Amino acid sequence: MEIFSQLGSVIVGLYESSGLCHLGWQNYVMILISFVLMFLAIKKQYEPLLLLPIAFGMMIVNIFPEIMANPVTQMLTADQVAARGLDPASYPTTSELLTKAQVIAAGFEPSALTHVNVEGTEFYKVVYYTVTENGGLFYYLYQGVHLGIFPPLIFLGIGAMTDFGPLIANPKSFILGAAAQIGIFITFIGAIALGFKTNEAGSIAIIGGADGPTAIFVTSKLSPELLGPIAVAAYSYMALVPIIQPPIMRMLTTKKERSVVMGQLRPVSKLEKIIFPIVVVVLVAILLPDAAPLVGMLMLGNLFKESGVVDRIAKTAQNELMNIVTIFLGVTVGATASGTLFLTPKTLGIIALGLVAFCLGTACGVCFGKIMCWATKGKINPLIGSAGVSAVPMAARISQKVGQEENPANFLLMHAMGPNVAGVIGSAVAAGVLISVLK
Amino acid sequence: MDNMMLALSLLLAGFIIVFVVLILLIIIITVYGKIIQAAQRSSKNRKEKKNMVKTVKAPEPVKAEPAAEVKNTMPDDENGEIPGEIIAVIAAAVDAVYGSKPHRVRAVKRSGKGRSAWGNAGVISNTSPF
Repeated sequence: MEIFSQLGSVIVGLYESSGLCHLGWQNYVMILISFVLMFLAIKKQYEPLLLLPIAFGMMIVNIFPEIMANPVTQMLTADQVAARGLDPASYPTTSELLTKAQVIAAGFEPSALTHVNVEGTEFYKVVYYTVTENGGLFYYLYQGVHLGIFPPLIFLGIGAMTDFGPLIANPKSFILGAAAQIGIFITFIGAIALGFKTNEAGSIAIIGGADGPTAIFVTSKLSPELLGPIAVAAYSYMALVPIIQPPIMRMLTTKKERSVVMGQLRPVSKLEKIIFPIVVVVLVAILLPDAAPLVGMLMLGNLFKESGVVDRIAKTAQNELMNIVTIFLGVTVGATASGTLFLTPKTLGIIALGLVAFCLGTACGVCFGKIMCWATKGKINPLIGSAGVSAVPMAARISQKVGQEENPANFLLMHAMGPNVAGVIGSAVAAGVLISVLK
Repeated sequence: MDNMMLALSLLLAGFIIVFVVLILLIIIITVYGKIIQAAQRSSKNRKEKKNMVKTVKAPEPVKAEPAAEVKNTMPDDENGEIPGEIIAVIAAAVDAVYGSKPHRVRAVKRSGKGRSAWGNAGVISNTSPF
């Protein structure tokens, strides 16, 4: 009989410690959202490198929230340390002098404490042990996001993978990269109008740059408390570029404009490619020091690649380092989307404004593409303007895809890579402006 | 109201700064690109001149007799535009694809002007990973 009652208590204990007992409806909603994101990543292959770890992190944190728990420091008395079966010698101690009344109010037995006489007054010495409980696994991995370490490292890898040749061959692409950043500043006004604080509005607006690392970097400087929703929104929109951009591109261009075939780009010499990252860093870091960590690492990675003398380092930055940081960044960003913190009106507002910023960026890029098409008498296809939002290389790929729908023999990819990589530099510059004004 | 003024001034400042920085980059890249191109062209010209001088000075090489004359036995296409060797290569490629299935090459036509089929294949293979 006793066996059955013990079995029953074990089962009740297991049930009470399980997610079934602790999870709220918000957690279940987030778990469902994570399933949708996993479906988009695996079945539709929308930026699976990012979306899959984000979705998995989102799922696991809503099932087991302690994985993201902060470390806890407790001050325990000798009795409490003994009750927990801990070794008192392993923990640092602090002591406090209390009067008799304070000792009784705190529930200690005065006779068990050491007496101390200070200038005629009797005190009791209470010794506390500082016991620190470690945080969850993702808490420690998240520090790379929280301290703004991962974004520049990701930029190092992007730089080592990026060929700036199309941009050097056609520097006018920078205009499209700049135009796509206008959405950031327009959204800033919208966020202020909706009642967000200036620093929060700056973090929300940078989502329009469609550059996850930049959004995280800016938010960690301006409003770290919004890091979770902003990172999730930025990466989700980057992953959803194939859904969001094409309708805007088709709406703003005519069939004739979409069919424009662009001339071949001139070949770019190795020397030009080597000088490019140095020139960009010197100029941007002098004019906008706040953008230096992002642009500096981006261009360092590119210099590794183009110099051709540090092949091993370039390959590490492109592959191993980039992949490791992407795993940690993706999983921990997803893990910030805990149901109770995430499903709030403020977060929904951030996600809605982020979408507006992203759409505005795309639209501004396409509109400037149309202006350039008109100015060059039809030599530039306006579709490459949408690639001015960063999201490398997905945005350029969308320009290529939409262009090819009109004319299958039209190859816009390399032309779109110009504004695309210009967009990376442009969003880093915009980030520098936001940080320097709002910090 | 103060916040809205800040937002508007940030819009203007951001717009101007981003464009100014990127336009400066356009100017710098265009200028150094032209300088490097000009420098490389002149060095190439100098090399070519040197080579020409060397060729004039060099003694005439002894002409080697061909070991055996290979006769072109392949039929050219109807207009005679495509050499027989090319047709043979195309036929071999078709054979490699179709294998044991019965097949026959009835005509070989040049594709339209612009990028060649090989060029297109190259572009597709380079762009497909994206």
